[in-house]
Parts: sequence; structure tokens; C-alpha cells
Amino acid sequence: MTKLPVLVGCVAYHPRIVTIWEGFLPWFERAGAPTDYVLYSNYERLVDALLAGEVDIAWNTNTAYVAAEERIGGDAQVLAMRDVDADFATVIVTRRGEAFGHPGELAGRRLALGSRDSGHAAILPLHYLAQEGLDAASECELVRFDTDLGKHGDTGDSELHVLRALREGRADAGAIGDATWALLRTSAPQETDGLEIAWRSPTYYHCNFTALPSFEGGRAWAQALLTMSYDDASVRTEMDLEGVKRWLPADKSGYADLTAAMRAQGYL
Amino acid sequence: MTPRRVVADELELGAGLEVLVAAALEGVAPGERLEVQVASPGIAHELAAWTRLAGHELVGQTASDGRRAAQRVTIRRGSARRVLGDEAPPRAEPLGADGRLGLDEVRAATGPAPAHAPPAGGLVPLGAIAEPGGPRYHWALSERDRLWARELALLAEIAAREQWDATEDIPWEAAAGLPDDVERAVSQVMTYIAQNEYAAFYVPARFLPQVNPQYAEVLLWLASHVHDEARHLEVFTKRAVAGGVRSHALASTELSLHTLLEEHDFSNAALLLNVLGEGTFLDLLRFVERHAPDAATATAARLAHRDERRHVHFGIAHVRRRIAGDPDAAAALVAAAEARAAKLTSLSGISPLLSEALTLMSARSRQPAELSEAAAEVQALLVTMHDNRQRRLRAAGFDPATARYLSELHTPNLM
Repeated sequence: MTKLPVLVGCVAYHPRIVTIWEGFLPWFERAGAPTDYVLYSNYERLVDALLAGEVDIAWNTNTAYVAAEERIGGDAQVLAMRDVDADFATVIVTRRGEAFGHPGELAGRRLALGSRDSGHAAILPLHYLAQEGLDAASECELVRFDTDLGKHGDTGDSELHVLRALREGRADAGAIGDATWALLRTSAPQETDGLEIAWRSPTYYHCNFTALPSFEGGRAWAQALLTMSYDDASVRTEMDLEGVKRWLPADKSGYADLTAAMRAQGYL
Repeated sequence: MTPRRVVADELELGAGLEVLVAAALEGVAPGERLEVQVASPGIAHELAAWTRLAGHELVGQTASDGRRAAQRVTIRRGSARRVLGDEAPPRAEPLGADGRLGLDEVRAATGPAPAHAPPAGGLVPLGAIAEPGGPRYHWALSERDRLWARELALLAEIAAREQWDATEDIPWEAAAGLPDDVERAVSQVMTYIAQNEYAAFYVPARFLPQVNPQYAEVLLWLASHVHDEARHLEVFTKRAVAGGVRSHALASTELSLHTLLEEHDFSNAALLLNVLGEGTFLDLLRFVERHAPDAATATAARLAHRDERRHVHFGIAHVRRRIAGDPDAAAALVAAAEARAAKLTSLSGISPLLSEALTLMSARSRQPAELSEAAAEVQALLVTMHDNRQRRLRAAGFDPATARYLSELHTPNLM
């Protein structure tokens, strides 16, 4: 009997998403976990689709996952994540030589943030700065770049705006993901020219594959995914495009800060 | 186990830090640790992010002893391999010790040309290790013995050494001032040769992109062949028009060349083009050099002759190897020559326009005595061509009777 494919929902934040999943599908077939995918234009639609049972699994940002978890009532299954999703961090960047000793020194300064639905470039920076005693929303002049809303920062566009604002003197500090910083430093160094990291946040989890508690095929599908190897030439290009070298089992321990932040900032 | 250490100091990401750390991690086993000392917390933060993206794990980040801002970042090497495929072998003895590096020496160091090369294989230079996962190719010519010839690499290297320039190396000023009818004769001969050089250009050019990259010697050889012919059609085109007259590209020549371009088997083409066609042209070019009324024409013929000798040498060596290695090869080659001749039944004898032009060019006048002598030279040339074709065919491995038969079958167009 042919197994029905597991249906994964993804957000089409870039044309490469099609390349990635078209490359993954034959691998899943060979791994005995037939899979298909559906693309959505934004994470709100993807979460709606997950809740409505249109897809079995949603390939969520951390923000989308927390929103889904809230609506599901705390029983969502988190199935797997990329190696880069563990130990994710936000960095606060300044112009070179203007790094601060303590985040409290940003009071009265202009702080640039990425899209307001980006966990790493907007929601978590405010949360972690608050933990450091800085209520940035009231003590700083926030310079927000709400581009590509619905994509939760996946496109990286708003973070480029943050860095440009810093370089052009339109902000004094800016929040972006540490992965974005490292990628730009090595592949587009002009974007980080004259800037440096002043502060790095505690770490948190980023994306995960989320399923409803009622979906029974989740564990088996994740077990198959975890065997995908970067040493397998048939999926290496796709894994590079997805930014993963190893798939990891996921849990909910890395989302407490984001959940608290989204609640405090009125997203939940 | 004590982790290995590397001091990066002020090096930043994108400015050498990742190069230093990646090189140091090459010497660390997966799961083992590397300590990197950097000058500031900012650098430590960006190194932490790079570590994760590169598939490694950040174990710790602490203030270093001594200097205030310095940080010690500890990385556990991940298991991801940077490149798939076999490990590179240990470093071997250097090549080219005497200041000269021939392709044969590279071939000897990197392993013999395989009898069968993977038809889907990639653009993998000799000695390189192919990384799996690249796109698949479909190399039509992936069997060594259907392509190879003795001294192939050497021939390609000689070709590179003997390149010349059709713009500067010909005394073009000498092409001016010939009498009208002699210039017309020269122009017609040059036009005929240039027309033939087009065929000699297209035939190897069409095989070139079909040859498996594993046979680098064949590629270099064919590329040199194509390049030679490009220059030949350049120089003879230039000489054809240099004296101010225009001549005809003959349909009978076209018919003969068309059948050559229809030949899609590499060895058949080597016989028909290299051995028979270019071989016959060796005699023609020598004749033109000897009887040319001007130094420009003579020089062009002499330089082209030097190149054609290599092409003929290759053809003979290749056909000889095919016949020696495959008992059915000789019959197949004869069949190819017969098939071509069957398409050329409408051609009988050398074109009168060409033989008259050769005669006038040689006579350099319309004086009966000179014309008579020149006509005899042209007749003698055709005999020489037939004799030398047989000699080359015997050198290529055909028995004398077959050699005579093939020479007689050869196109009256000469190429």
C-alpha cells in the first residue's frame, strides 16, 4: 500500500525554497518517508493552515511557532530544527569605536530594529535589552524597518536597512541576527563596513518543524529527517541553500524568552 | 585532551579570521576542540556566529588571561566534511624539476588515461579529485582507443610552440604588383585553399565538445588543430583578396567538403581529413610555396605546411593505432572512404578552374613555353599526390593494395 505523503507547509520567502524542497522530495521518498510541500506567502497563513489541518507540518520561524503554540494551547509537537537554529543570538551593532560598555548606555540614543515580526531583529532585542534594565521602547528613539512583513525576517531585508542606517548615521545602534552578521561579513563585507558588534544576547532557538498534537506521523517523519546527511551529494546543495549541515531533534526549551517577549509586547 | 590553540588577535571575520580558524580546524578531529584567542568581545561574538554556520559548536567564550579585552573562544569541530569525495593523497615529489613540464610528465604523475572515462563525469583536471554531486554530462567520446594517438601530448605542445601570426609574419607588401592574370590565378588558388581550410576547421571543432575531459591530451590537440586552421583560413583569405581581385568559392569544392563535414566518426574523420585530405594538401602547399610568384603567397604556404605536417602526423598515428588495436577497424575505415566516394560520383578530376589557376600561377605569364612547363608541373603534382597518399596510407597500417585503392578513391577535390 502506498503511504500518503506527509504534507509540509513552508513560506516562499525566496525562489530557492522551491529548489530546496524539489531536491528534498526524492530524498524523503528514498528514506521511506514520502513527503510533499505547499508554499504560503506568509507565516500567518501557514499557521492558519496548520491549525486548519491543511498541512501536517509547518516549517515555522520561532515567532510563527510561538503564535501557533499559543493557539494550539501548549500541546504542539516540535519535531526538528537545523543545527543553526540552536544557539541563535541577536547582536547589537554600532559604528566602530562607538561600542557601549553596558546596554543601559543606549538610553537616549537611536536604536534601529528590523521588521516588527522578526524574532531576532525586533522582538527579542527589546526583550533582552529590558532584561539588562533598558526599556528601549520608552528610553530610546526606535528606528523601525518593517519590510517584508509576514516573512518574519527570513529575507534579511530589514536587517540590511538597519546596517545601512548605522553606516549613514541615521541610528546609533541596531539589532540584527548574529547569523546575518556572520554571513554578511564573509560574503558582502561592504554591508558591515565601519561597524562592529557591541553586544550579543543570550541564545535562543529559531525555526522548527511544528505539528498539531493530533498528527501521528510526526515522530517517524522527524526520525527520517534526522538521518539526512550533509555527506550525501544528492541533498548537499539543498542543505547548503537551507543553511543546515545537521538536523537536530527539537524541544521547547529555547522558546521561553520569545514567548515572554511576544506576550509582553502584545503579539499574543 | 588539551585543545589546540591558535592566536588570531585583531583578525576579524571577513578579513582573515575565518581563514585562520578553518585552516586550524583542518588539523582537529571531529569532536575535538580548538581554542582561538581574539582581541575583543566583538570579534568573539562574530566568531561564535561563524562557528555555528560552519557546522561547528561553540563550547565556551571567556575573558582571556592577561589582556583586558582579549577573549578565548573554544570551538568543537563538527562532523560535516567541507568537500565530498576521496581524501587528497599525501604530497608527492614536485614536477618540472629541470625547468620544463611536459604534459606526459603530468600524466605519468597523475595516472594513465583510463580506457573508459565516465560519460557523465565533470570537468575534472588531471590529478584532481572529483567531488560528487555536480551536474551530469553526456560525453559522446569517452573511450580512449577511439581517440588516442602516440605522442599526442607532444604534438599539442609542439603546436603551441610553433604558433605564428597571419597579420605580422607574412611580407604582405610582396602581394602587390603582380600582373592581372597572375594575380587572378593566385587569388583563385588562395580562395580554393581557404575554402578547404574551413572544412579542416569545422571537423575537429565539432569533435572538441564531445571529448571526455579525462582525455586532456586529445582536447589540447584538437584545440591546437582548430586554432591552426583558424589561422590558415585567415591567412589564405587575406592573400586571396590582398591583390585586389575576387575569386569564386567553387560548388564542386563545396560538394566535396560537405561530405567531410557529414562524417561523425572520429577515426573516419582522421583518415579522410588528416591522412588523405591534409596529406594531399602537404603536397599542394609545397607546390604553392615553390611556384608562388610572390613572397607573401610562398610564406603563407610554408607556414601552413608546417602546421599541416602535425595534423597529418596525428592522423597517421591515430589510424595506425586503431588498425593495430582492432581487427575490424581497417575494414570500417575503408567503408567510410567508399561511402564518401559514392557521394562524390559527380566529381571527375580536379576542377579545371583550379588546375588552370595553378598552371598560370606557376607560369607567371601566358608565354607558351612557360605555360607548357607549368602544366607539366601540375600534372606531376597530381602524380606526386597519389604516390605520397599511398605512402602515408601504408604508414597508417594499410596494406599496399588497400593503400592504392584508397588513394584512388580519394576526392578529386584533393581535400
